[in-house]
Amino acid sequence: MLTVICPPLFFDYMRTQITLRRLAISLAECGQHVLRFDYRGTGDSFGELGEVTVSDWVEDIALAVREGLGISGSQKVRLLGVRAGALLACRSPGAVSDIQRLVLWDPVSNGAAYLQETRRVQATLVRRHSRLSRDERHQAMLEYAGHRISGRMLDEFRLLDASAYSSIPNSKLQVVSTLPVNPFPVAGVSQIVALVACNWEMDTEEPMMPQSVLLERLIVCLTMP
Amino acid sequence: MSDHALTEEPLHFGEGGRMLGILTLPAAPPGNARELPVFVFLSAGILHRVGPRRLYVHLARELARMGFSSLRVDLAGVGDSTPRSGLTTEQSVRADYQEIVSVLESRLGRLSLVVGGLCSAADNAIKLAPADQRVTGMFLLDMVCLSDDRFAVRAFIARYLTPARYIAWLMRRIKAASVPFRDRFKRVDLFPLRLPDIPSREQIRAAFEAIRERDGRVLSVFTQYALHNYYNRPGQLARVARVDGYQRFCTELYWPEVEHTYELDAHRRRLIEEVKRWAAGYIHS
Repeated sequence: MLTVICPPLFFDYMRTQITLRRLAISLAECGQHVLRFDYRGTGDSFGELGEVTVSDWVEDIALAVREGLGISGSQKVRLLGVRAGALLACRSPGAVSDIQRLVLWDPVSNGAAYLQETRRVQATLVRRHSRLSRDERHQAMLEYAGHRISGRMLDEFRLLDASAYSSIPNSKLQVVSTLPVNPFPVAGVSQIVALVACNWEMDTEEPMMPQSVLLERLIVCLTMP
Repeated sequence: MSDHALTEEPLHFGEGGRMLGILTLPAAPPGNARELPVFVFLSAGILHRVGPRRLYVHLARELARMGFSSLRVDLAGVGDSTPRSGLTTEQSVRADYQEIVSVLESRLGRLSLVVGGLCSAADNAIKLAPADQRVTGMFLLDMVCLSDDRFAVRAFIARYLTPARYIAWLMRRIKAASVPFRDRFKRVDLFPLRLPDIPSREQIRAAFEAIRERDGRVLSVFTQYALHNYYNRPGQLARVARVDGYQRFCTELYWPEVEHTYELDAHRRRLIEEVKRWAAGYIHS
């Protein structure tokens, strides 16, 4: 079995790095192959955020799956999508047919809402900079959580709605939520709750510590037959 | 998607491949490539090797376009490198550094190094530099700077005699009143590795003197974070370090309008341009 981890974006990416590494190690200790990767324009991958699009990222997931299967020799693959990574994972080619299961950790409900969240973060960042000139402030307000994003990326992101999730058979989806009530937009999908403080609304990149309750739930979902 | 001007290679190194770093090399090294120092980006606190909002990635690639090689590395216990048990933070960093130098020498041959990075990376660079003759440069982003004679007076004036402080206090009170009661006590994660381990005045001086003796160069940049904690006047580091010839080999910048982790794109670009300008001195010297 191969698990491909589709990471979240922006500040969520930095915040979850330690936890996702810990998860990958734990899954490997359970005998699974695991592939972590960075989308184009993020992390160590080549490219600039201002030049890539949602389509590129969806392609990256497909590429990661192909590479992972080739390297590991596995026959089956599962995806873990984290936050906005959940939307991308569900849009990836093969999500409907070839992927055995998609586990979604605190999936964002849709692209437009997520962009709005990054705008809120940006507004907070700009408020923290009390010495910006008017022009600098104006320029800064064009960013999303401290990043420049292309117009095409924004357009494509806004098109990521609940249909990304509803296009996948419910039986393949498993949501792991750290909130008592998760506003997952599709009814009838199995949900497991792990009440830990992820504080997604925070506006820093400070990594969260791996939380054993959450790791256990994710491992159960990714290893169950 | 690739970059024709450079190549990157993940390096697993150290005992049992416990450490991970990304080696960035110029695709077409300049004629004097072997004379140019190699940049080593140490972990910024507990952030992994890409740095805040990919700052280290962009720096490494821009420097490669100028002809410099670099390694951005996860120190033990950070990112993808395995923690070392039974060692203090300082011992662990020193052990990491030995392995970093070892892998770079095996890949690139004889070395001179520019060591540094943001926050704790800068502090670690200061502690590592004196003992290693290969270090001919440091780039220090918000290193901890000791206070000079007038620091407390300036801090008092800035803190208590600025109307903005009282306006901000009032705004916070108004905002707090609108937050639901239960949300005022959200749990905040504490990371156990974050222990203050700052360099002493002697260590700062030793590092700067060592770089001077090696005809090296130092770039230090202080931001809003430093302003709020330990640095509030341009040239404060020079006054604290009291190193002969400081102005000749050191560039000290004060950017109080910039946030500690270079949150805004424009500020990251500004820093990258400044580092490039500073690094160009190695090419022309």
